[in-house]
Amino acid sequence: MEHFAQLLHLSPAMAWMVVKLIIAFAAPLVLAAVLTWVERRGAAMIQDRIGPNRAAILGRWRLLGLVQLAADGIKFFLKEDLVTRDANKTLFWLAPFMAFVPAMMGFAVIPFGRSFVENGTAYHLSLLDPGNGMGMLYPMAIGSVAVYGILTASWSSNNKWSILGGMRSSAQMVSYEIGMSVAVLAIFMTTGGYDPHQIIAAQDSVLHWNVVRHFFGFLVFFTCMFAETNRLPFDFAEGESEIVAGFHTEYGSMKFALLQLSEYVHIVVASSLIVTLYFGGWQVPFVKDPAVLLSVLSFAGKVVFFCWVFIWIRWTLPRFRFDQLMFLGWKVMLPLSLANLLVHAYFMHRWG
Amino acid sequence: MFAIFALITLFGALSVAFQKNLVVAGLCMVLTFFGVAGLYLLLSNPVAAALQIIVYSGAIVVLVLFVIMLLSAHEEEPAGRTMPIQRWGSAVVALALAAGAVRVVLTSGFMQAMKPLKIQGPMNLNLVGVELFRGHLVAFEVAGLLLLATMIGAVALVKKDL
Repeated sequence: MEHFAQLLHLSPAMAWMVVKLIIAFAAPLVLAAVLTWVERRGAAMIQDRIGPNRAAILGRWRLLGLVQLAADGIKFFLKEDLVTRDANKTLFWLAPFMAFVPAMMGFAVIPFGRSFVENGTAYHLSLLDPGNGMGMLYPMAIGSVAVYGILTASWSSNNKWSILGGMRSSAQMVSYEIGMSVAVLAIFMTTGGYDPHQIIAAQDSVLHWNVVRHFFGFLVFFTCMFAETNRLPFDFAEGESEIVAGFHTEYGSMKFALLQLSEYVHIVVASSLIVTLYFGGWQVPFVKDPAVLLSVLSFAGKVVFFCWVFIWIRWTLPRFRFDQLMFLGWKVMLPLSLANLLVHAYFMHRWG
Repeated sequence: MFAIFALITLFGALSVAFQKNLVVAGLCMVLTFFGVAGLYLLLSNPVAAALQIIVYSGAIVVLVLFVIMLLSAHEEEPAGRTMPIQRWGSAVVALALAAGAVRVVLTSGFMQAMKPLKIQGPMNLNLVGVELFRGHLVAFEVAGLLLLATMIGAVALVKKDL
């Protein structure tokens, strides 16, 4: 690390910060881009179709349809940028960014590998170092702000379908956030800290993974993550069979691409939150103190798996009805996570 | 940094007051809350900053915007008849309140004893919890009771047949 910093004429801390910034920014973005391909091929696989396989480099190399990604990107850039006449132009422009920026920010606090010490300096593999005081409150705060992108997009396009989508989405986010927070609270309680580094350190063997200790908390959190990312069992903001395309009905070209991409970045961040909170983050099963590279690989593997679960479930389950969603949120998820919290509190009180 | 966050806060607050469009005004309010959260961060209190964003930006303003959209009252309603006395009266009251607040801050003992504060690391949830349950237990419990009463009241008002 120090050698590398010297090459760039930077202090090791500074060089490390730059490296981390690039990783924390590029990794979710690249993964999200690949996920759009995985989504289409995965959907095709589940529905017994072939999926996108026509785009090819020089009409020759199809690479399992991966070239479709580049083709879509170029197409989005070259499309005409339409804004409807009665839209609120400023907000219409701003909305995709308001959806995209919080989505990208969420990853900052998540440790994607084991911290290591070199020449007396500790290097942490998360953008925000441990002990920053924000801890897991940060992704929750960022996640709760994400709804503004959808709300603004829906309201500014001045379309009744869009507004319906936006209102559904805001109602859904607010109701599911409570159950989610209480589920996470139980983890803070048993861990005795709320810093993601502490939470991961506490899950040092497979039996100590929070998914074992907080199984019902995990169910609640997992379900709430679908609601937070607006993915299919809960994609009421979009609801293409009822309200055309919901909040992004009026969007086209690169603005639409940004909205779509932010959904996939949300999936990546949600998967890494699930992994950090319930599946031991970078811990490798049955290996004590794994090597740094191994820990990063383990984290990446788990995240990719959960990204796939998101897609898997999308193409397996039908969409709920809105009253079913509210029923599930308030009358199943919230009591379940409260019960989880109380049971853990009781056992902690009993056996310290 | 302080100037940036203070300007964001002030700009947001002024826009809320002068913006005719209710939804845009609501979004400006979110901007203000972000500015305030930034100020909390500068005071090395990230917990307050996070809670500010979770509670105010993430929940309360979302609900406010929800209601605005539901009523589709996008524009401010013009008053039936203008009452200049109301405007001047409110200006005087606001100025008096502001002057009082500034005076209280300037004459407080804290201001006299102000020196570069020694900060022992950022505030964290553990410290907040200890402070809450040790120093302010009664106030905390009373606030909880008050919220419970409000919640029961809201349910009782809305539910037709209990």
